[in-house]
Amino acid sequence: MAAGVLALTAGCSGGVAGGGSEESEDGPIKLGMLAPFSGSESAFGAYMQNGAQLAVDEINADGGVLGRDLELVVEDDACDATTAVAGANKLVTEGIVGSVGGYCSGATLPTLPIFDEAGVPMVIPAANSNELVDQGLPGVFLINGTGDQQAAAAVQYAEKIGATNVAVIDDATSYSADLAQAFTTQAEEAGLSVVFEATVTPGENDYSAVATQLVGAQPALVYWTGYYQEGGLIVRQATDAGYTGAFMVADGSVDAKFSEIAGAGYTENVVGTFTQTPDMIEGADEWIADYEELAGDPPGPYSTQAYDAVRVMAQAIEDAGSTEFEEVVAALEGLEDFDTFAGPLTFTENHTLSGGGFVIVAVDPATSNFVLEDDLQG
Amino acid sequence: MMQLIWNGLIVGSFYALVALGYSMVYGIIKLLNFAHGDIYMLGAFVGFFTLSAFGISNETSIPLLLVILLLSMVTTGLIGVGIERVAYRPLRRSPRLAVLITAIGVSFTLEYGVRQIFGPNPEAFPVRLESRGVDLLGMRITASQIVLVVIAAGLMLVLAHIVERTREGRAMRAIALDPQAAQLMGVNVNRVISTVFFIGSSLAGAAGVMAGAYYGSIDFLMGFVIGLKAFTAAVIGGIGNLYGAMLGGVLLGMLESFGSAWFGGEWRDVFAFAFLILFLTFKPTGLLGARVVERM
Amino acid sequence: MARRLDLALKHAPLRAPAPLFERPRAARGVLDSQTGFMRALGVVAVLFLAVLPFIDASRYTMSIAISALIYVMLCMGLNVVVGYAGLLDLGYIAFFAVGAYVSGIFTTVLGWPMWAALPATVFACILAGIIIGAPTLRLRSDYLAIVTLGFGEIIRITANNLTITGGPSGIHGIPSWDFFGWSFEDGVTVLGLEFPERVVFYYFVAAVVVVVGVIGAGRLARGKLGRAWKAVRDDEDAAEAMGINTYAAKISAYIIGAVWAGLAGQLMATHLSAISPNSFQFLYSALILMAVVLGGMGSTPGVIIGALFVSLAPELLRDFAEWRFLIFGVLLVVVMLFRPAGLWPATAILPWLKRDRPQPPPFTSATAAVPPSVLESPSGAPDADVREGGRG
Repeated sequence: MAAGVLALTAGCSGGVAGGGSEESEDGPIKLGMLAPFSGSESAFGAYMQNGAQLAVDEINADGGVLGRDLELVVEDDACDATTAVAGANKLVTEGIVGSVGGYCSGATLPTLPIFDEAGVPMVIPAANSNELVDQGLPGVFLINGTGDQQAAAAVQYAEKIGATNVAVIDDATSYSADLAQAFTTQAEEAGLSVVFEATVTPGENDYSAVATQLVGAQPALVYWTGYYQEGGLIVRQATDAGYTGAFMVADGSVDAKFSEIAGAGYTENVVGTFTQTPDMIEGADEWIADYEELAGDPPGPYSTQAYDAVRVMAQAIEDAGSTEFEEVVAALEGLEDFDTFAGPLTFTENHTLSGGGFVIVAVDPATSNFVLEDDLQG
Repeated sequence: MMQLIWNGLIVGSFYALVALGYSMVYGIIKLLNFAHGDIYMLGAFVGFFTLSAFGISNETSIPLLLVILLLSMVTTGLIGVGIERVAYRPLRRSPRLAVLITAIGVSFTLEYGVRQIFGPNPEAFPVRLESRGVDLLGMRITASQIVLVVIAAGLMLVLAHIVERTREGRAMRAIALDPQAAQLMGVNVNRVISTVFFIGSSLAGAAGVMAGAYYGSIDFLMGFVIGLKAFTAAVIGGIGNLYGAMLGGVLLGMLESFGSAWFGGEWRDVFAFAFLILFLTFKPTGLLGARVVERM
Repeated sequence: MARRLDLALKHAPLRAPAPLFERPRAARGVLDSQTGFMRALGVVAVLFLAVLPFIDASRYTMSIAISALIYVMLCMGLNVVVGYAGLLDLGYIAFFAVGAYVSGIFTTVLGWPMWAALPATVFACILAGIIIGAPTLRLRSDYLAIVTLGFGEIIRITANNLTITGGPSGIHGIPSWDFFGWSFEDGVTVLGLEFPERVVFYYFVAAVVVVVGVIGAGRLARGKLGRAWKAVRDDEDAAEAMGINTYAAKISAYIIGAVWAGLAGQLMATHLSAISPNSFQFLYSALILMAVVLGGMGSTPGVIIGALFVSLAPELLRDFAEWRFLIFGVLLVVVMLFRPAGLWPATAILPWLKRDRPQPPPFTSATAAVPPSVLESPSGAPDADVREGGRG
């Protein structure tokens, strides 16, 4: 029996002894992306995939990386830890040399050790929980602004409009709760008083209880850190309940659907914290046109970050001259003022962006899209 | 304080409308129609689909809402009858477990069928009620809330009339008491059960349209939580009892309103389900339910 | 007259009366008996599990194999509750969550080694089973369904809101198994074979636990307790009249289901090294229920097939993931309407054994020791349904 097993093992390179990734030296360089393609966040997966694919196509048209083509391999993480781990293992088995995915922090977190063990560096385009870098894994880089940076932008704007009493509401998801916590801490450090904090359950329709309490607390600005569906409902119900202060939303709510759900006439006091998107940047029309040609739809949230993640990773591999883990990580750390949508990129010591690139956006009543309101410079 | 009561009343009227269907079906064929909450969701999507097909968006007219309401009620009523005919009737003599599992299957089919058609993202409902409010007696009351409560109360009055004053209603009550005896007395049991499914489903569909017009956002899972809550309401009021369902709905709405004010919104569902368990443990017949000696 | 009859009998040759039935042949080979075949099938399955890593030990294969094993464990546990005891539990994932969180908290917050957290997990699951079961098991079956659903949501929301459970982002950095200073992280070389991947060790631990779990649940079901469960399922009043403590039978089924799920939860926590409340939604309770119902309630091979189908189908069919809940929903209805006992019913008899079953002799008036109506029993043959308690 034992002999049989040994013989079997010797004959199969895929067995225990021969396990590991099947990286080949002359095929395309594979980059893996985990993103939600099913479940409640599935819209974002397509935005990210198309953004990344656009970058891959452009790089391949220019001759690829190290003389080899790039190939994007996509797996679903469904925003759920179990699915994400299976997907990460699948990507590693397929022999990716870099990961350019990660949308939900809760689903991205358990995949980090898997990529780390397999020697796959990660440039994470969307997930931005501080816990991702707090793990201290060498290969983790965030190119989306972190919760701390977004909270800083929110506090800066609150100070700018002279709001001394502020409130914060989150939706009990990982991303939202982190951001709310960061906002509270930084607002108090800045001398603002946080007069009301609340958590709501996502997926419900009636938030009148929290709206009533909000009116009672009388803040000059309330920061909603969750997603657009609940955000739209809360801004409407709070306004109906008599709330008149400013309503600031985080990047998860910056979406045209937000104003549709809130309804006409409810978004005059709404601003959002957001990283710059192509339609806010002059001269990006061409990029949008390319994207639409590829995807058939206009770009959405995190399209640009995914596009940049691929470019950052490709640049690092080119600089390193190889796909070896240590060399690519060193190259990523060595990037200086790499040109991205969010501005020139240099990683800090803990592998996050030096500046978050967050700006303040507001709803354009004509199109119900969010447009640039204040770039917070000066 | 007054505001909390008023908020609770609004939410409670949604619960009550959905709970009525639960309670009626349960009262008659002792079936816990797990898919009932999803009929509520279907109602909202039927309205959404019709309005979008006509290219209507951002409307605030009440007559238009009433037209859509009626249309959705008829459609969801027919869907309810169809579900009963296809999925539940063949299993009427099967063990209860089989019917319950079928009901879960129906619920998944409806939810994920709508998801495949309309996509996973929430949609904005095209008709919205004017909802700027006035302050009255320490409460803030909006026009849309008044419309909502009036429609809900109107539907419940019609239902009470049907059940208590018409021939059909008498047949329903007879079947609830003893289906076999009712059949011997010449009641067409199958037809009456279909009627019950029609009425229950159309009430849920109406609630769905009203939720769309009142809150403004609909999605394919919107029926799940409200289905559970409506069941809780039906149990609190006494399942099988129509007035119990109304009372239970309003009561649960208020309990939640106060519960989330005191413990925080994140605990709201825990609070509601804990109440359900307490009621089932200590008073399984509910507030108005008849004492029935029955074993599983 | 009587004397003549005596004489006739005295001189008749001694001969055994011709048998009324053709006796079944004694079982000889594996294929000849139901039990023998099932055992052989089990041995083949265990061998396959043992050999799989030597055929393909890629992370991906190992990872989905572990997930599939965890599903099998969960489904076996739910099968005890739904299949044997007939209690519809729609919040079964809650016990999975309890197992995962208890092992996660004990190993990360308190720093216990993983094996030491095992008794804590089992104890917590027994406790959770009693807490949830004690008040609700006296209820009617459909009330029970909703109450368990409510409990499932309560556990998930609580895990999402508390600090000790890590809130919405959950617990991460859960250590792997280690035994007396040797951790799975270290790898090992046995007989010249290098085992570098810790995922392979998880696989072996999961395989051992699941095999024990499957055999254990199967044996429980055949014992006194198992017969009590099935009696309660088929007719609670009759079972009570026969002296079965129905409440004790139900709560024991519930507790055993809870422990199985808790062990699966611990397996998952170590496998993923991170857990978050998102993994414990109602959807997963429903998925496990679907696996049990599709495979065949109360049938060990059926439930395993159902579990493998539910866990592997989305991996094998790329486009299936999007459609799976719709397909599962339709399948549930269709199965309940047309094949309520599932793909491999608990009462299934191997097709080639059916013809060997004893047939009643052709009826003649000579053999009519009893009125014909009694012999012509409606089933026509002694049926396994009677033995196993057939379920519609």
